[in-house]
Amino acid sequence: MRKMRDTFKELFSYGDLLVNLALSELKLRYRGSALGFLWTVLNPLFFLLILAAVFSLIIRFQVENYTIFLFSGLVSWLMIQQTVIIATASVVNNQHLIRKVFIPKLVFPLSSVLARYVDHAALFVILIIFMGIYKAPIRASLVVVPYILLLHFVFSLGLSLLLAVAYVRLRDVQQIVAVVFQALFYATPILYPLDVLPENFQAVIRWNPIYYFVESLRWPVYRGAFPPNSILIAATGLAAAALVLGYVLFVRNEKAFVFHLS
Amino acid sequence: MSRLPDPKDFSKPAVALEEVGIRFLLSPPRPASLRHDGLRALRALGRRRKEEFWALRNIDLEIKPGEIFGVVGGNGAGKSTLLKVMTGIYPATNGRVRIHGTLAPLIELGAAFNPELTGAENIFLSGSIHRVPRREIRRRFDEIVDFSGIREFLNVPVKNYSSGMFIRLAFSIIIFFQPEIVLIDEVFSVGDEAFQKKSFEKILSFRERGAAIVLVSHDLNLIARIAGRAAVLSRGRLAYLGPAAEAVAHYRKFLLEGEGLDAVRSGRESSPALLQNSRRWGDRRVEITSVVFVGEDGLPRTSFRTGEYFEARLSYVSRLGPQEKRPVFGVALITAYQMLVYGPNTLEAEGISAAPQDPLPSRGVVRFIVPSLPLFAGNYLFSASVYDPTLSIAHDHHDQMYGFHVDDSGAKEFGCVRIGCRWGIEPD
Repeated sequence: MRKMRDTFKELFSYGDLLVNLALSELKLRYRGSALGFLWTVLNPLFFLLILAAVFSLIIRFQVENYTIFLFSGLVSWLMIQQTVIIATASVVNNQHLIRKVFIPKLVFPLSSVLARYVDHAALFVILIIFMGIYKAPIRASLVVVPYILLLHFVFSLGLSLLLAVAYVRLRDVQQIVAVVFQALFYATPILYPLDVLPENFQAVIRWNPIYYFVESLRWPVYRGAFPPNSILIAATGLAAAALVLGYVLFVRNEKAFVFHLS
Repeated sequence: MSRLPDPKDFSKPAVALEEVGIRFLLSPPRPASLRHDGLRALRALGRRRKEEFWALRNIDLEIKPGEIFGVVGGNGAGKSTLLKVMTGIYPATNGRVRIHGTLAPLIELGAAFNPELTGAENIFLSGSIHRVPRREIRRRFDEIVDFSGIREFLNVPVKNYSSGMFIRLAFSIIIFFQPEIVLIDEVFSVGDEAFQKKSFEKILSFRERGAAIVLVSHDLNLIARIAGRAAVLSRGRLAYLGPAAEAVAHYRKFLLEGEGLDAVRSGRESSPALLQNSRRWGDRRVEITSVVFVGEDGLPRTSFRTGEYFEARLSYVSRLGPQEKRPVFGVALITAYQMLVYGPNTLEAEGISAAPQDPLPSRGVVRFIVPSLPLFAGNYLFSASVYDPTLSIAHDHHDQMYGFHVDDSGAKEFGCVRIGCRWGIEPD
């Protein structure tokens, strides 16, 4: 417990660094590009529009207001998937620093996840605009959205910590993560509603943790209602478990990182 | 291990190492990968590998505030690892490392830079890596920029900097945040001569304010001159700890006893780096037993002035047979930035190597005399060697094992060597 307090105290004293690393990541990405930060908005916007076009014109599901159904699910999905895929590499990408200066290693995944969530603000801008265009229900249940965002953040941070440790040891991890996410994309009810699936398939999908996050955002945004307790409790539990597990594993292994990096 | 700045307390050591050891696990030349190792890669994750190498072992030392502490030792002796353990880059495998005060590691200068960011942005980034509060960086910003002399390039990405500018900026950043402990690894090959001098004075000024300075250097004269105490490291262990002059003398004796070669012979315990980088090699059929610099009065010294008499005396012992041709002695003068200034030898020198067939005396002193030293102020490294007459077999080569210093004579000329020349002017 005391050790944990020291770790946090130390991490806190590196607060400026955390912000600086996240800022430079954001700043450098679009340096030299004409549209700059606009790409952060355009990129997911095009992705959303393409999927919306394909699935409302070519392959159709019987879903009312499909665009908002799709967008609410996709925003949740992208927040987790994009964060985790990039943050998994955060420790290895900073190996030159780790071998040459002393920095608490937690700074790297944390700043990477923070930078992604700054980007994700663009997703919300898009979501809000389309909620206006497609007349999504604007109800009191939207007050739960900040909490759901926090759950997304905590869950992706925990998962990133876990996978960053694995990636230091085994460089195949990033490829594996990418493939698993590709599969999960279809195993999560983002493009389709859960109830189009046969009962036994639905049961399988309930084992997919991301399902609970997608649903937790979809309830207030698309259905205009508070998420059922079962969904909220599951998402909260999953986020907490991922963070605790990721944190413990990371702190136990971070000292040895320097020996596995070059 | 607390890294948070403690209230200044002079009774506490600035750096304390207790029984510190650090073990590297040798082998994996590459990280495990499923493609190459299949599922064995997964098992490799859990398995302890057997090949291990102790880069440091049982190190006990305390460095007090206000002290200049030197560290000497051959390549692979663990000097840089010692500094990296102090900074926390390497975790100690056993023992305890305690640090009281803010650290300024002048180890891998510029390592903290992001090459894509501009100089100004990197000042803030580096500052935050060393936990300097933002407002403190702002307050010091102009001083840093002026000291490093890169004002025109503040908004240029540092990847476009010359290596000199890069190092100057990195150095200035670290030095301006009132460190209480400064760790230096061969840093005086930094920038040009004027900058070296300026930064050196800056570092010494910290000591007056009570900062501890840990200085790792191959420049034994520098250590003997400015350090109070020094440690000699040999194969990761503390071989000597005491007054700097004595430590340097000990280390010189080590070198002459051929510490480098013994380590290679003993095989397993030495690192591969030692084998390649050992600064002494040769078959020792002729052995250089000492190298001493003397002035015109014949007394040993390590500090000279431009234009002064300079002499290096190489004592040797020869085990060559009476029928064998005379060997060739050579020396080399190298600047601190590893530029060879001059490397003469006795191949053509009458009376030494080119003389008629009479054999070399079995013991003697070879004198390398420069009547008027044409070098300007700075630290110089010195190599001495003896080879067979074809220059293909080394009997004994001491690579950059010695050093001397040329004091600033206030000359208004620039460079490292004076070339005889004259000027003329003619109307066109």
